[in-house]
Amino acid sequence: MKQILTVALLTTLLAACKKDQYYLYNDIARLQFGPAPERIYTTSFEMADTVKPYTFYYEPATTTQDTVFFDIYAIGGVSGNDRPFILEQVTLNGEENAVPGTHYKAFSDPSLKEVYVIKAGEVHASVPVILLRDASLKTKNVKLQIQVKANDQFQPGEIRKLWRRVNFTDMLSQPAAWNASAVQYYWGKYSQVKHSFMINQTGEKWDEEFLTYVNTDYALLTFWRLKLRTLLTDYNNAHPSEPLTDETGETVVFP
Amino acid sequence: MKLKYQILATCCILLISSCYKDQGNYIYKVPEEININGIEASYNKVSLVDKITINPTVTSTDPDAKFSYWWGIYETNVQGSAPKVDTIGRTKALDYLVTQPAKGWVLVFGAKNEHTGFSKIMTSNINVVTQFTRGWYIMKNDGGKTDVDLFLTPSAITPESRMENVFSLVNGKKLDGEANLFGFYTNYKSNVTGAYANTRALFILSDKDASVVNINTFKEIHGINNLFYETPSVNRPGSISESSQANYFVNNGRLHSIYSMSANVGLFGGQQLRDDNNSPYNLSRYFLAYPFDNPFFFDETSTSFVSATGTGSVLSAVTDVSGTEMPANRNNKTLLFMGVKSTNPYVGIALFQDKTDPSLKVLSTITPSNYALKMVNDTLAPTDKLYQAERFGLIVADENILYFSAGQEVWSRNLSNGAEQLQFTAPAGEKITCIRHRKYTGGTATEQSFYYNYMLIGTTGGGNYKVRAFQKTSGNLATAPDFTMEGKGSVGDVIYIAPPINNYTYPNSY
Repeated sequence: MKQILTVALLTTLLAACKKDQYYLYNDIARLQFGPAPERIYTTSFEMADTVKPYTFYYEPATTTQDTVFFDIYAIGGVSGNDRPFILEQVTLNGEENAVPGTHYKAFSDPSLKEVYVIKAGEVHASVPVILLRDASLKTKNVKLQIQVKANDQFQPGEIRKLWRRVNFTDMLSQPAAWNASAVQYYWGKYSQVKHSFMINQTGEKWDEEFLTYVNTDYALLTFWRLKLRTLLTDYNNAHPSEPLTDETGETVVFP
Repeated sequence: MKLKYQILATCCILLISSCYKDQGNYIYKVPEEININGIEASYNKVSLVDKITINPTVTSTDPDAKFSYWWGIYETNVQGSAPKVDTIGRTKALDYLVTQPAKGWVLVFGAKNEHTGFSKIMTSNINVVTQFTRGWYIMKNDGGKTDVDLFLTPSAITPESRMENVFSLVNGKKLDGEANLFGFYTNYKSNVTGAYANTRALFILSDKDASVVNINTFKEIHGINNLFYETPSVNRPGSISESSQANYFVNNGRLHSIYSMSANVGLFGGQQLRDDNNSPYNLSRYFLAYPFDNPFFFDETSTSFVSATGTGSVLSAVTDVSGTEMPANRNNKTLLFMGVKSTNPYVGIALFQDKTDPSLKVLSTITPSNYALKMVNDTLAPTDKLYQAERFGLIVADENILYFSAGQEVWSRNLSNGAEQLQFTAPAGEKITCIRHRKYTGGTATEQSFYYNYMLIGTTGGGNYKVRAFQKTSGNLATAPDFTMEGKGSVGDVIYIAPPINNYTYPNSY
C-alpha cells in the first residue's frame, strides 16, 4: 500500500513539471499601439503617448486642420502584401466626445483609405488622425478615443495597448510636457490664465515644442522658473490686492 | 531480506558517487612576479610638440616569459561620461606625439606574459600643457581697459619671460573697466572640445566687464554678454565664487548661479530674488565662499547677510548663532572688506563701518554654522593702522593675520592679539593696488620646483606695475621679494596656474 502511495505521489509531482505554453502570437496577425520605434524596447515608454493633447491655439487662422500621429505595430511577423487595418472611435461616457466629420476626419473617409495600412514587409505604421478646426473648439475641449477593430487581416493585440486618445481644442491647453513632474517642481498647477501670462510676459509660445526644449536642460528650467516667478511677483506688486487669479479663482503661483 | 537489498543498493549508489576522478592541481608554485621599470610617475608634455618616448624594462620570474605589450591613454577629471582608453601603441618602446588637448591624462602600460597569461599594468600621469597652462597671470588695467599678462615659468616658480596682453592677443579685444578678480575652476562646463565637458576655465572680472577663457588656449568661452541665459542690462561684475555645489556670479549687485551637480552649459541663470516680494537688494562684491559649505553675501540695501543655493529662486535668509556680537540682519553697517580666513574650520574676516557713526569701524571674525553666523567683534581705535586701511589681503590658513595697506605701507595685524606691524614700504612714487596671498603646495615630485607660498604685493607708478613676491615667516615678510614681475598698467589680481592646479587650490576670496 505504501509503495502504491509513493508511486502515486511521484507521478503527481512529475505531472506538475509541464512546460508552460507561452502565447507566441503566431496564431494570427495582431495589431496594437506602441511607443515610437526608437523606444519600442524601453519598458518605461511602453505606455508613452497614450493620450496626446493638441491645440490649434498657436496656428494661424488659415489652418483648418492638423494631424496627430500615433504608432501602431503588427504582431506576428511581416507580410508580403499591404495589410489594411480598421480603427474605430470609442465613446467616452460623461465626456465631450469628438464628432466625426466635425472635429475629426472620419476613419471611413474615402481620402483615408490608403493611410490605415501596414505596408508590405513592415510591422509598423504611423497612424494619422486628422483633426478639424471646428468653431466649437474655441470654447471647449473634445476627446477622441480610438481603438483597433478586428478585420480579416488583424485581430486585436494586448488589451491595454489597443487604444489611444487625443484631447484637442482651439483654446490654450496643457501641453503634454507640462506633466505631473513639471506641475510639482517647475510650473505649478496648470491654468489657462497662467499659461497666457507665461506667453505674454516672455514672448515664448510655451507649447509642447518649447517645453520639451526647456525640459532638456535643468539649468534652463531653473532659469525660466526663476524668470516666471520674478515676473509674477512684479505683476502682483504692480497690482496690489489684485494678484493674478486663474479661471477657477485660484491665485496663480509658481513653485 | 528485501530490506537488506534496498539498503545495499542505497549504499552502493552513495559509494559510487565518491569515486570521481580528482582533477585538483597540487603543484604549488610561487606566483609570477613581473617588474616594469623606466616609467616615471608623471610627465609634462606640450600638445602637438612633445613626444612621449619611453622604452621600459620588463622582467619576469618566469624564465620562459614571452611578453606582449600595450599602451593606452585616457583623460582625467571627466564628469558626465566615462573616460575612454585610446590605444596608442602595441610595442614595448613608445614614441608617441602628444595630440591630446591640454589637461590631465593617464598613460597606461600593460605587459602580458603570453606563456602564463599573467599581466602587469602601470600608469603614469601625463600633464598635457600649452604655453598658457603654466605661469603667473597678472590682471592689470591701463587706460580704463583690462588685460592679462602672463609670466612664463618653464622650469621653476620664478618667471623667466613675459607675454604681454595675452587676453587681447588671443581674443582681439580688451575688457572694459578696472581689473578686479580672478576665479579659476576646473569643473566649469563648456563645449570647447566639441561636447560639453569640464573645462579648465579662468574667469577674469573687471568692474565693468567679465570673460571666462579656456586656460589651455586663452580663448574666450563666454564674454559677459553671453555668460548668462539672459544678457544683463547693466555690466557691473562683483564676484565669482564656488560654494555648495554651485558657481555664483554677482553682477550689478544681483546673484546668478549655475548648479554644478547637474548637466549645464556654463551659463548663469536669472537674478535670484531677495524674497517673495522681489524686494530690491544690492550685494557687496565681498563674499565668503567655500566649495563644501554655504556661501555668504552681504546685502548693502538691507545691511544683512544672505546665503543661496544653486537651484533656488530666492536668496536664503541668514540667522544668528547664539552668542554672536553683531546681528546678521539689519546691522546698519557698510562692509569695507570680507574674505575667507580658513576653510577648515570655515572662518571669515570682515571689516565694517557703522552707517550712523562712520567713525565706528569693527573687525569681525565670522564663523558660519549652516545658514547662521557667529560674529566676534573687535572695535578699532582711530589710532589703529587698520582703521586707515585701503587694500586688504588675508593670509589663508597659515597664520591668523590680516595684511592691509595704508598709504605707501603694507602692515600686518595679528587677528589674535591686535598687534600691528609694518611689513613693507613701497618706494616713492608707487601706489599699492593689490595684496594677495597665494599658495600652491603638494607632494608631486615634478612640481617641487613650482610649489610656493607668497604674499604678492602689487604697486603702480609712472604707468607701470610691479608685483613683488615675498616669502613670509610666521606672518612676517622677508626683507626682499624672491622676484618681481613688472609690466604696464595697474594690478588688480594675481594668480599662478599650473596643470595640477584645480578649483580647490585657491580659496574663493578677494
